[in-house]
Amino acid sequence: MNKIYDFLRSVKLALILFISILISCVTGVMFFPDQQAKAMIFSSLWFNSLLILLVVNIGFCFFSRVWRRKITPVSLGMILFHLSFVLIFAGIVYNSLFYFNGAIRLSEGETLSNTVPQSYDLAEWGRFFNHARLKGDTTLVKLHTHYKVNSADKGVANQILVGDGNDKKEGFVYITNHMDYNGFRYFRDRDGFSLLIILYDKHGRERYGAFVPLQSLKQKDGTYLYTSGTAVRSGSFPFPQDPLKPLLNLQISYSPDPQKERAGHVYFQVWPFREGHHVQGEKIIAKGEAALREKFTAGDYFLSVHEVRYWASMNVRYDPGLLIILTSFWIGLGGMILTTIARLARSRKRQDTG
Amino acid sequence: MNPEFLFFWTAVIFYGISTLCYIIGLVSRKEKFFSVGALLAFIGVIPHIASVALRWIEGGVLPFIEVSESITAGVMVAMIVFLIVQSSVKRIKAIGIFILPVNFILLSWAGTLMKEISGQLPASLQSYWLWVHIIAASTGFSLVLIAAGMGLLFLLKEKYSKGFYEKLPELSRLDDLSYRYVAGGFIMLGVMIISGAFWSNQVKGSYWNWDSVEVWSLVCWLVYGIYLHLRITIGWRNRKLAWYALLSLLVMVVSYWGIPFVAENFHTGFRIEH
Ligand code: HEM
Repeated sequence: MNKIYDFLRSVKLALILFISILISCVTGVMFFPDQQAKAMIFSSLWFNSLLILLVVNIGFCFFSRVWRRKITPVSLGMILFHLSFVLIFAGIVYNSLFYFNGAIRLSEGETLSNTVPQSYDLAEWGRFFNHARLKGDTTLVKLHTHYKVNSADKGVANQILVGDGNDKKEGFVYITNHMDYNGFRYFRDRDGFSLLIILYDKHGRERYGAFVPLQSLKQKDGTYLYTSGTAVRSGSFPFPQDPLKPLLNLQISYSPDPQKERAGHVYFQVWPFREGHHVQGEKIIAKGEAALREKFTAGDYFLSVHEVRYWASMNVRYDPGLLIILTSFWIGLGGMILTTIARLARSRKRQDTG
Repeated sequence: MNPEFLFFWTAVIFYGISTLCYIIGLVSRKEKFFSVGALLAFIGVIPHIASVALRWIEGGVLPFIEVSESITAGVMVAMIVFLIVQSSVKRIKAIGIFILPVNFILLSWAGTLMKEISGQLPASLQSYWLWVHIIAASTGFSLVLIAAGMGLLFLLKEKYSKGFYEKLPELSRLDDLSYRYVAGGFIMLGVMIISGAFWSNQVKGSYWNWDSVEVWSLVCWLVYGIYLHLRITIGWRNRKLAWYALLSLLVMVVSYWGIPFVAENFHTGFRIEH
């Protein structure tokens, strides 16, 4: 027992931990891209164990030394300061057990339930997160592209509605402003275009229509290509979509009108759909451009884009430890300032008397 | 040439000549060169402030976005703090022998990186935390710069004792001054990190992301935290700590302006995809 105590309160351990952590940090950011460093070091079990061990060590080391000392402004400041370290890490550990973090993606007008996992593109939570906390649903009412607050352009703002039945809360989520609903915070993340594509038969009768979200791919010259495909390259998709039987393989890209919102041209490429066949092997049926609501001929069918909407992806976070962590920052700062001022005052007094 | 650049390079020239005066003073051990150097530095600050102000007015945006802007404004604050210290602490005229070369080199470097005004303040930066962050960062840098300068004076006075060195404060006083500026800088760097965390929490919902700029500023802060422990807990003083203060400044400069320069992350350009 005593051995463990001596080990935990030794300055040598503190030194070893400090140096290992500093070296790990510097290695992580100097030699690896941010994402890789995060996976290899900053999110790893061993690195976080080092941090926790350091905090336990600070706790034992500092407090066992200071314990029976007289409380003066200088020592009080120091106690607050080291205590804040311990509190910050307690908050981090607590949060990691109870947090929730999900990415929810909606087109304008769409509503998704907050309670079902399928609503989230990505979701992760702490071991003890209580799923009953997720309540109600989320609607993206409208996306505003140049949202103004006191005449400052805040960029994109997602106007959303969150809640249960009649008890709904509306909010505007933009880069420096989140919305809070029952402790769940909505943050703006990414957004893009979503096109309503209509399929007509050869007599011009409407057969099918669906909103298709487009990717925003950054080009070498810094502009964006808005296209179907994956997050890294443009590509085709079967149309009509699940659960209906597909008839065509479709690739579309959209060039927005620079002057007018929700207007522009669409570029179509159409292949026949055959089960198990890749587009590359197929002969293209048609390709070309059409204005919005203009019919585009694709073999036996017509296609048109009837409407442009936006989609928005938001991060939904629940961080019950956040308050402890952020408050502890200020406690620590207060401690630092108190110690420094008290020390300066003391040395001035000493100079005056001696 | 546009007036902003004209003011900027005028300031660089003044700092350059001032640096020269300090070097001559150091070599000839004549204090009057330091007075001339300080005067030139003081004059140089005026066009320096004017160039920052012009850029601010013209762009309508706090000039702290590009790396060159951040160095220019950081050095401006460092020069102002230097002049305040110079006029309020007695007998340390010679500290310019360290402060001026460092600021002169940094500012000239900023000059080579200068770009057109970026125009609009990205929405992500429209936050009061940014103000706290920037003010804390630049005063933090200024204070540890002075601390390193005190460290250098300590080392010089310890080695040589003739000439202007006689007029410097006692060694123990220099040691104490250096510690005080480290303590002040440590607090300011703490404020910088905290306000950065609050800002990140405001924009992304996470207060810490382990990106390279964040990690380097934490490393810097810990480096000064170790200074305080070496002094208070272990009892280091004098020469060892003077060296430590000088070397820490290197970490500081690298992490402030070296890292954002090479790392592509949230701090560089603050690009947000559509
Ligand atoms: C293993 C970790 C740590 C231990 C064992 C420790 C221990 C101590 C001790 C014993 C003191 C002096 C108390 C006294 O004798 O009067 C002290 C002071 C202090 N510590 Fe720590 N500490 C640790 C971590 C930290 C960290 C991470 C920081 C921040 C970077 C920090 C900042 C300070 C400050 C600012 C002071 C007061 C200095 C002053 O009076 O100006 N400590 N610490």
